[in-house]
Order: sequence, then C-alpha cells, then structure tokens
Amino acid sequence: MFGKLKKKLWSAAVLLAFLAAPAAFAEDSPPTPEELVKIRAANDACLTCHSEAGLKKPPKEGLDLKKLRNHLVDLGTYTTSDHGQMACSKCHGDGYDDHPHAPKAREDLAECQDCHARKAMRIERQFDKSVHAENLSDKFTCATCHDPHVMTLAANLRDPHKIVAQDNKICLDCHDSDIAFAKMAPEKKKRPAIDDIHSWLPNTRLHWKAVRCIECHSPTEDKLSLSHEIQNKEKAEKKCATCHSANSSLNARLYRHLAKEEQHKYGFLNSVILSNSYVVGATRNPTLDMILIGLFAATVVGVIGHGIVRALMNSLRRRKNHD
Amino acid sequence: MTNRVFMLPLWIRLWHWSNALAIIVLSITGISLHFSDPNLPLVEFSLAARIHNVAGVCLAVLWVVFVIGNIVTGNWWQYVPKPPGIIGRCISQMKYYGGGIFKGEPEPFPPTPEVNFNALQAITYWSIMYLVLPMVIATGLVFLYPQFAPDTLFGLDGLLPIALLHYLGAAVILLFMVSHIYLGTMGPKVSSLFKMMITGWYEH
Repeated sequence: MFGKLKKKLWSAAVLLAFLAAPAAFAEDSPPTPEELVKIRAANDACLTCHSEAGLKKPPKEGLDLKKLRNHLVDLGTYTTSDHGQMACSKCHGDGYDDHPHAPKAREDLAECQDCHARKAMRIERQFDKSVHAENLSDKFTCATCHDPHVMTLAANLRDPHKIVAQDNKICLDCHDSDIAFAKMAPEKKKRPAIDDIHSWLPNTRLHWKAVRCIECHSPTEDKLSLSHEIQNKEKAEKKCATCHSANSSLNARLYRHLAKEEQHKYGFLNSVILSNSYVVGATRNPTLDMILIGLFAATVVGVIGHGIVRALMNSLRRRKNHD
Repeated sequence: MTNRVFMLPLWIRLWHWSNALAIIVLSITGISLHFSDPNLPLVEFSLAARIHNVAGVCLAVLWVVFVIGNIVTGNWWQYVPKPPGIIGRCISQMKYYGGGIFKGEPEPFPPTPEVNFNALQAITYWSIMYLVLPMVIATGLVFLYPQFAPDTLFGLDGLLPIALLHYLGAAVILLFMVSHIYLGTMGPKVSSLFKMMITGWYEH
C-alpha cells in the first residue's frame, strides 16, 4: 500500500522534473578541455581515498577501511564509461565536499531520473512488469544493475563482444554468485544453479559469450527497443528460431546499433552478425542455398525420369517379346 | 533358376544400414537447422541440434569402425579404383546407364565376390568414404567444439569456412544418397541389390 503510494509520488516527481526541465542534464554538451582538466583534478581528490591505491595507502588515519572497500571506483573503467567526463560532485552533492562526509550525505545523492527523466519514465513502465519488480521492488533500483561508474550504453560500445561482456556480467554477478544473490533475494529463495536451469540450451556457455541474457529474458515481440521487463524462465523466449532464422531478432537486439551497416558481405544474409558469430539458420548465403536446392531437385527429377523411361522401355520390350 | 553367391559379410551390412540411418537422421535435422524458420519448423531447433550432435558422433564412430573393419578384413582393396583401363570401364558403365539399360542389355561389370564394384562405384565410394565424409565429420566435430575454429577469417567469424565445408560436403553426400538409392534398383531385379544388402547373398 505504502509502496504503491511511494511509487505514485515518485512518478509525479519525475513528471514534474520532466516538465520543469525539458532540457535534461543527460543531453548537456560535453565539457570543454579546460573544464575537463578541472573535473579530473576534482575527481582525483575523491579517488585519493576511493580507489585501490587509496585503500592500500589511506591518505588519512582512522578511515573505516571495511566501509571504504565497498565504495571504490576504478579510474580507467570510470573514464571510459558514459559518465566518465562528469565530476563526482555532479551526483554526490554538498554532503560529500568534506571528509568525514556529512551523515545524511547519502540522502542528497542524485537519482538517475534527475538527469534521465524521459528515459526513466519509459523504463519504469517496463520495469514494473519485470520479475525484479515483482519480487524485489523495495530493494531494486537502477543502480542495482547499472553501476553509474561503469556503464556504457550499447549504442556507444557498439562492439557486440563488449556489449555482451558488460551486460551479462551484470546478470551473472548476482545469478552466478550465492553471496550476491542472497543479499538481494527474498529470504527463503535459493539461487538455482545457472547451468542447470539452462541445460536445455545447446552450447550454453558459448551462447553466453555470444549473446546477452536479455536477448531471451526480455519480450521479443517489441522489435523497436529492448525492454527493461526482465522475464523469468516461464515467460522468457525459448524458441531458438527467433534468433536462428533469416529474419533473426538479433538484428533488432544485440546488433541493432550495427544493423544499418548490413552489406550482405559475400552475399550472406545477416553478414553484420557474421562478423562476430556464425549463427546457424541466420547467417546463410541464399545464392548458395538456391544452387544446392537446384542440384538436389535436378538429381531427384533425374533419377525419377530415368526410372520412368526404364520402366516404359521394359514394358515395351516385354510386350514385344510377348507378341 | 537363380544363382546365389554370398557377397557381403555381416559386419559390412550392419555398418551400411547404421550408417544409412545416421545419414538420414543427420540430413533431416541438418536441413531443419540450416533452413530454420519459426513458421516452418521441420524439427524444433534445440531438439534438432541435440539429435544432430548425437547422430553426428555416431556417424564418426561408424566411420572409424568402417576404416578399421576394412583394414582388418582387407575389404579396403574393393574401393581402390584400379588404373589399367579404368577410364574405358567408366565410359562403358556410363553408356550402360545412359542407353544400354533402356535396351535391356546386361550390366557390363556385374558384381562378383572378388570385384564387388564397377569402376564408377569404386571411384564414387572411395571419394565419399575417404574424402567427403571425413571432411564432413571433421568439420562437424569443430562445430561441436568451436573453440578449435579460428576466431576470425577475412573479417568474418572463423567458423564460417568450417560451416561452409560442412554444408557443401553434406550436400554432396545427400546428392550421393539419392543416386545411390536409385542405382540400388539396377540389379537383375529392382529388388535384388536391396535384398543383397540385407541378406548378403547376390541373386542373379
């Protein structure tokens, strides 16, 4: 009841934010080189503590290292992520300016929808139908999956191998770890062994290297965008031919950012997929198929024709001999 | 009165029909996988993939049985196309298929226990059993263990040449199978050679 009210309030707040600030922060122009130098310098100050190096050699005495360990940022990963040109202080507000940080600093932490209002509205509708919302709506936030210090949008990554590695790590970090799973899951829920529940899928691990979990665990009917309605095994896609066919749904999913570059290289269908993976049933050459089907048909017609002529000649001969 | 002569030992007959069954299963599931279409599923994809894998391994084992059996029994010699006059024998065999058979002429090289195959058969069987089939089996095994395929080739996935060889080889075997079954009707009676393949006795 309270949860629902809270959700409604949130939606109203998001809507207000959306109306009040049509030019979302997320669409701000990137910082100038001078601004970037300042941002990096400010971020370096945070990272003197919030990095592996800071943890090894704390710049200050009396730091709670156990707590700090859970709040480390890898500079390299952060810099290449979509938020990599932003100052830490953009999300981590006033309470984080000094150390020790203000006791209630966390409450001022920016929410994703502060900048991504439009996206958040669209995604929230999809998320509400997901298995995560169904079972874990109180605990589950955007950041549960999308670490803002790490994420890069698929559209920016482009390389399917990188997209798969990034996105599947998110799912497997919880679903392939008893400790992480127990932190989020309802009390009595036991983590099913990920290989066992996918044993029906041939070449399971190979699939996980080549495609994302969400390729099957989100509705495949929508060919225009990928939904945040993460589905459990009852609803997830089980028809192999959804991807393994000439009209492969991979084009609208993992390869949607590359699909425009499809050139039917060497005459192959879905050759944009073929650059990374040979997908039985999807990456084939219609000309070669037609030649082989033609040869097969010719052989069948040939032997049937030969047989008919043989039988006719035989009966003619027999009739002649009879006469 | 018909003459009977024993031609084919049990192991060859057992191997032949197991091999035939494996190839038919592999053809149906292989076609189903390659031309996979959600609207026209011949065999459901994951089922087809599993059957294809199991039947493929059976085919590989059967091929090893065939090679070992041939070495042990000396049967391999039957498959060797023997050169002196081979072209001439091939031509007369083709003339028979293209004309003689319609006129009711006798087969130029009927099977004997010493020489089972005519020249065309020997060449075809040898090529299928020692060139095409091993290539299809080898590429199929790479499909089972794709980590052995090159990562990329000419900017495309490294599995592509493996897949193409597998596909082309399989198509050749399928074409062979159609002709092979039809040529099986060319004994003294339409059923003679099929009977021989079951009982081992050639009746003529």
